[in-house]
Amino acid sequence: MHATMSAEEDLADVGRVLGGEVEAFEGIVRRWQGPLVNMAWRYCRDRGRAEEMAQEAFLRAWRGLAGWRRESSFSTWLFALAANVFRSELKRFPAVDVPLEDVAEPAGAATQHDGLAKKQSDEAVRRAVLALPMRYREPVVLYYFHEMDVAAASRTMGLPEGTMKARLARGRELLRRRFPHLSESGAWRPSPDLRGEKEALQ
Amino acid sequence: MNIDTDHEKKLDAIERIVAAEEELIPSSGFLATVMERVRDEAAAPPPIPFPWMRALPGLVLVAGVIGWTGFELAHTSLSAVREVSFTQLNLAAAGRALEPAGWVALALAASLLSWLFSRRLAGRSGLL
Repeated sequence: MHATMSAEEDLADVGRVLGGEVEAFEGIVRRWQGPLVNMAWRYCRDRGRAEEMAQEAFLRAWRGLAGWRRESSFSTWLFALAANVFRSELKRFPAVDVPLEDVAEPAGAATQHDGLAKKQSDEAVRRAVLALPMRYREPVVLYYFHEMDVAAASRTMGLPEGTMKARLARGRELLRRRFPHLSESGAWRPSPDLRGEKEALQ
Repeated sequence: MNIDTDHEKKLDAIERIVAAEEELIPSSGFLATVMERVRDEAAAPPPIPFPWMRALPGLVLVAGVIGWTGFELAHTSLSAVREVSFTQLNLAAAGRALEPAGWVALALAASLLSWLFSRRLAGRSGLL
């Protein structure tokens, strides 16, 4: 998704904005609104708030555009800036203040055949990510946002890859402990027709 | 069942759920709202920079006064404490030592200087 974004277009638009052409910023917003809103959504799981946070991130990007030194790609700079904005926003008003141990565990196998129940159970797991301690939450959020690319996630967080991997492992371990029956029930085990999807995820 | 295999399967299930997130599409007004805010910001006059050069003498003066006050206070307190211990807790004498009339004069002088300096700054910038 992100790889297809045109780096040349970003570079050209940034040049035009810095040259005083305010309207050129529209191209940047048009290209990156989807990724930024989705990233914000993963931080807070509140659609309205995600859009507000993404707007704030774009405004900060506008103000700080001259600060992009072109050492990294525009997308790396933008994601790192957005992560800072989202982190600060969530420090002021946390999205979830439920401890991980209080997050409801998905129901058993019998109810998971029901599509709605499955959806609710999946949502419970995703919400549990937000209940992780901040130190582990952000690596998990960014890792999956960047389609399981540790390098991209660590660039966004400004952390060494080793630290990122360690925090990611700890975050996943906490989730595994919270949902010990997730695979024991058998309902969510990868079936043969999902092997391709599983490989793609890895 | 092997514990490692079991863990792997749990990891798979959790990863599949967290990774399989539906893509959100920004609302139709999102782009327009962002651009409106950007245009507002671009049209706003640039913030007035703080006049550091003009304020520098005042800041140095204030820092000096604070430093000197601190030093004098510590000095006076130490001598007062010594005096207390030597004169068998003569509190009245210690109180007198802590409140020299000179401090009042110093405070008045600092206030006067501060007032004059702010009038000068305001006069230069056309506020007076």
